[in-house]
Amino acid sequence: MASKEAVPSPAQGVGPTYRTDEEKPTATVSKKVSYENVHVLPQTPQLIALLTMIRDKRTVRADFIFYSNRIIRLLVEEGLNHLPVVEQSVTTPVGRDYLGVKFEGKICGVSIMRAGEAMEQGLRDCCRSVRIGKILIQRDEETCMPKLFYDKLPADIADRWVLLLDPMFATGGSATLAVEVLMQRGVPEHRILFLNLIASPSGVAEFAERFPKLRVVTAFIDQGLDDKKYIIPGLGDFGDRYYTL
Amino acid sequence: MESTSPFYSVVPEVKYSPPWHDLSIIGIAGSSGSGKTSVAMEIVKSLNLPWVVILVMDSFYKTLTPEEHAKAHANNYDFDCPDSIDFDLLFNVCTREYNDSDEDDDSSKKAHIPVYSFANHQRQTQTTTLYSPRVLILEGILALHDPRILKLLDVKIFVEADMDVCLGRRVLRDVRERGRDVEGIIKQWFTFVKPSYTKFVEPQRHISDIIIPRGIENITAIDMVVKHIQRKLQDKSESHTEALRKLGLLAAKVELPQNVHVMPATPQFVGMNTVLQDPATEHVDFVFYFDRLASILIEKSVFIALDMTPYVQTTVETPQGNKYLGLHPKGSVSAVAILRGGSCLETALKRSIPDCVTGRVLIQTDASSSEPELHYLKLPPQLEEHSMVMLLDPQMASGGAALMAVRVLIDHGVSEDKIVFVTCAAGETGIKRLIAVFPKINIIVGRIEPDGEPRWMEKRYFGC
Repeated sequence: MASKEAVPSPAQGVGPTYRTDEEKPTATVSKKVSYENVHVLPQTPQLIALLTMIRDKRTVRADFIFYSNRIIRLLVEEGLNHLPVVEQSVTTPVGRDYLGVKFEGKICGVSIMRAGEAMEQGLRDCCRSVRIGKILIQRDEETCMPKLFYDKLPADIADRWVLLLDPMFATGGSATLAVEVLMQRGVPEHRILFLNLIASPSGVAEFAERFPKLRVVTAFIDQGLDDKKYIIPGLGDFGDRYYTL
Repeated sequence: MESTSPFYSVVPEVKYSPPWHDLSIIGIAGSSGSGKTSVAMEIVKSLNLPWVVILVMDSFYKTLTPEEHAKAHANNYDFDCPDSIDFDLLFNVCTREYNDSDEDDDSSKKAHIPVYSFANHQRQTQTTTLYSPRVLILEGILALHDPRILKLLDVKIFVEADMDVCLGRRVLRDVRERGRDVEGIIKQWFTFVKPSYTKFVEPQRHISDIIIPRGIENITAIDMVVKHIQRKLQDKSESHTEALRKLGLLAAKVELPQNVHVMPATPQFVGMNTVLQDPATEHVDFVFYFDRLASILIEKSVFIALDMTPYVQTTVETPQGNKYLGLHPKGSVSAVAILRGGSCLETALKRSIPDCVTGRVLIQTDASSSEPELHYLKLPPQLEEHSMVMLLDPQMASGGAALMAVRVLIDHGVSEDKIVFVTCAAGETGIKRLIAVFPKINIIVGRIEPDGEPRWMEKRYFGC
C-alpha cells in the first residue's frame, strides 16, 4: 500500500524558539520541501490547532467553514505579500508625512470549481471588490485524465495578477490544467499565485518543477497519497465538508 | 576620565498609581433625621462626577445574634450605640484592605461592601463592589466616632438640626421606607436614639471641621464643601499628570523588550497603513482596511495566547479514517475594549473568536488636564481564570489610558503576564512607559508612530 511506503510526516515540538522542546507540545507539522517557489505558512501552534479542527471528522460543518476560513485568510494575507508595491507618501490626518506603499497592479481570483469556490469568501475578506473567474475541471471517465469542462474568466486577465484557488492539492492534475488554461489566456507564469490549504509532497514537487516561476502558498504539506490518490491524512472531501455534509 | 556614576546602578522602582489610589474621604455625621443623606446627595449632585461615591454606615451594622434579633424586632435593641457598628470592617473598606481574595498583593483592589437588610436586621450574603472612587462620602450618625477612621478623613462635617425636626423626619422615613410602626419608633427614640445622641453623636460636633446647620437648606455651606472637594481633586489630578510625565522620562532610555511585538512591515501591512493614513481614503475603504489590519493583529494575539495557553496533544481521525497528531488549545481567551476606540477592534476580534467574552472600560482623557479618567467599568465574571485577556485600543499616545486599564485588570485579579495589549499604532515613549510599569505584559503594536500623536483613528472609523 502506498501509505506504508510514504515517509512519515515529521512530528516535532511546536512553539516559540525560546522554549525548549520539552516545554512544547508535540504535533505533526508540514513536511519540508526545497523549492524556492513553494511557501509553507509558519507551523505555529495556532495553525496546527486550526488544522486539527478541520481534519477532525467530528467537526460539524459550521465549525469546519469557520476554521477553514480562518486558515484561508492567513493564506491570502501571505499570498498578497508576494504582490508588488510602489512607494507612496501621504500626509496623515494629523498633518505628518508617512512614507508608505501603494498596491501595484490589478489582481483577480480564479477558483477551481467546486472546492476552490470555498476560498472566495476568505479572498473577499482581504480584497473587497476582487474579480473572480471560475474554472470547472472534472475527471474524464474514459481517459481518467482531468478535462476542462467550463471556464469564465475576466476579459483582461492577461493584465492581472492571478490568485488561483484550490484547497486540496493531491496529484495536481486539475491545478496543472488550470495553470495551462491561464497561460493560454496570456497570463505570464510569474503572475500566478496558487493558494492551497493542504498539498501532497509528490504533487507539489512536480508542480513546482513544471512551473518554476509560479508561486505556491500552502498551509501544510501532508504525508503522501493513498492508493486512491487521496491525500493522507488529509481531511476528506473539502467541497463536501464545506458545502453539503 | 569618563566613568558611570555608581548612583545610576540602582534601577529605580517604577510604579504607577491610578488617581483612585489617592482617595479623599469626607465624613458626614449628625443626628438621625438631621438630613445627612440629603446633604451627601446634594454634594454628589453638585460635583457631578462618576467617581464620587456615598458609603452609608448603615451597611456596617453587625449581624445580630438570635437574642439580639428578637430584641430588635421588639424595638429593644440599641442601633445608635457605637457597639452596633462593625468599625473594623468599615476601616478596612476605607483603607481597602478588605478583600475576599487571598492575594498578597498589597496594592489596593476592589472593596466589598456588605448589604444590610433593615427588614431582617441581617447582613445579606451578597456584597456590592466598590472600585476606583476618588471621593468617598462616609455618611452615618457616628461617622466621626472611631479615631482610626477620623485619621483617614479629609473633611469632617457635622449636620445639625433641631431635635423635633429630626424626630418628625425619622417617624416619616421609618414608617414609609422601613415598614415600622409609630409606637415602636417613638419608643426607640426615647430609649436609645436621644440618649445616644447626647452621649456619642453630639460630642462629634466639637471635632468636626464644618458644622452645617439646617442641613439641605444651607446652600452656602454645601457650596463651600463642594468647592473644597473640587480644589482637592484638581491638586490630585495635577500630581497624577506630573507622575505620568516623570514615568515617561524614566522609561525613555529603556530598549523595547521581546514581549513588545511590533508587526513586521510586510508590503501588505505597510500598504494598509498607507491607505489608513491617507485622508483621501473614503470612509468605507477606511473601515474595510482597518478591519483587515486589525484581523492580522488579533490573529497575532491569538498566536501569543496559544503560546501562553496550555494546549493538549490530540489525535484526530479524518473522514477517511487516517490519524493526525494535532493540538487543541485549552483555556479561554477574553477581551476588554478600552472605550470608545477599543470597540473598533471588535469586528476583527469576532472574525477570529466569534464568541469571545468581552468586557468594557470607558477611559476618557480630560482635554484640559490631559489626565485619563475612568468613567465606566464592566468586566466579565471570573476574568482572573482566563488564560489570556486582550486589552483593545486602536491607538496609544502617552499610554496614560493603557496604564490605567492594565491597572484595573490587575486590581481585578488578572495576573500581569496574562494581559496582552493590542493596538494598531503607538508612540515609543508610551510603550516604554507601559512596559516599565508592567514588565510582564505582552504588547502587540501594528506600527510605531511619533510620540505625542493625537488619537484620530477611532474618529475616522466611526465617522465622528
